[in-house]
Amino acid sequence: LRPQSLDQPLTQPPAPSSGRARVLVIIPCFNEARMIGQLLDEIHKLGAGYDTLVVDDGSSDATYEIAVAKSECVRLICNLGIGGAVQTGIKYAHSHGYDFCVQVDGDGQHPPDQVQALLEAQAGTKANLMIGSRYRGGDTDRSTWARRQGSRIIARVLGMASHAAALTDPTSGLRLMDRKAIAFFAQRYPHDFPEPISIAWALRHGLKVAETPVRMRAREHGTTSIAGLKALSYMVRVVFYILLARFEPRIKPRDHRSESDQP
Amino acid sequence: MTNHSPALQTVIVVAVFAAFYMRHLLRRTLRESLDLYDLFMLSMIAVVPAAFVFFPRAADTAAELAGVAFPFVLMFGALLAVVFALVHRLTVRIHRLETQNRLLIQEVSLMRGDEAGGATARS
Repeated sequence: LRPQSLDQPLTQPPAPSSGRARVLVIIPCFNEARMIGQLLDEIHKLGAGYDTLVVDDGSSDATYEIAVAKSECVRLICNLGIGGAVQTGIKYAHSHGYDFCVQVDGDGQHPPDQVQALLEAQAGTKANLMIGSRYRGGDTDRSTWARRQGSRIIARVLGMASHAAALTDPTSGLRLMDRKAIAFFAQRYPHDFPEPISIAWALRHGLKVAETPVRMRAREHGTTSIAGLKALSYMVRVVFYILLARFEPRIKPRDHRSESDQP
Repeated sequence: MTNHSPALQTVIVVAVFAAFYMRHLLRRTLRESLDLYDLFMLSMIAVVPAAFVFFPRAADTAAELAGVAFPFVLMFGALLAVVFALVHRLTVRIHRLETQNRLLIQEVSLMRGDEAGGATARS
């Protein structure tokens, strides 16, 4: 997992923006033709000036055709999974010099108006990685008991392994990264179970991780891929990866501007 | 320790297998389907049994030195070690190729997107 030459982004990022912070909303998608158009419309209606990037992870439906009419799109030439898709978006954010990128799932579970909540929380804490938690301040998406317990165990292991402040929703896909986190994750991003493991890596390599309450919606289409025995297997493997991260040699995340330059 | 010489049939079978397999490996290596490391490791599958069959006394001595009662235990141990080394190397190589493949897919997709795309949509 050492950074390799191929890991380096192809282009150097432009100089940091001097005025308003540039925010990229990364939307990883796989067969989300039913939701992606509506989600992009919602983001545009906000009028908040966010740029959007849809990363189509090799969909076989009309996701790309719908998305490309409304947003910048990258179509992966074959399916890489959520980790590979999100890292593609992060690389884009890095090479285009964005101040922040926010991951919003393409299935519509993450209301776009919550991006502002993440930005405000980041401004207050200066966290490099800001997680949107559905459990802090009440479970807004009424997730299952098993999921809540799984999240709780993973959060506890994360806390023990990294001595970090208690997180409540380490599996949340709604998250914001600043330039430092973007530079770090453009180099390396977990491909198995990316949400909790990226937190473990970030903590291990000295990034500041924080959490803020967000509202989430119930899934309108499709079902979760993590259910039954898969959930148990997911949890065991995630816990193992988190513990493994403790033994990684620390690498310094490459920052392209000093902390004082942060907007 | 045993001092039995292998039966003629065993010698013939092992010799024929070793000859054909080594020929196959050498041809593959010449066509660059295998590298020298692969040739060396895979040839052990032919060489180790052949060594034990053609030189039974040496096999007995080696077994005695290793502290095992039967030479064939030493032979299977040696073959198992070769297989482990090979599987380890293949696993590392597969993961490296998988990583490179993923990174190439990302870079190619981003370049295609940059070529095809215009200005980023701003809400």
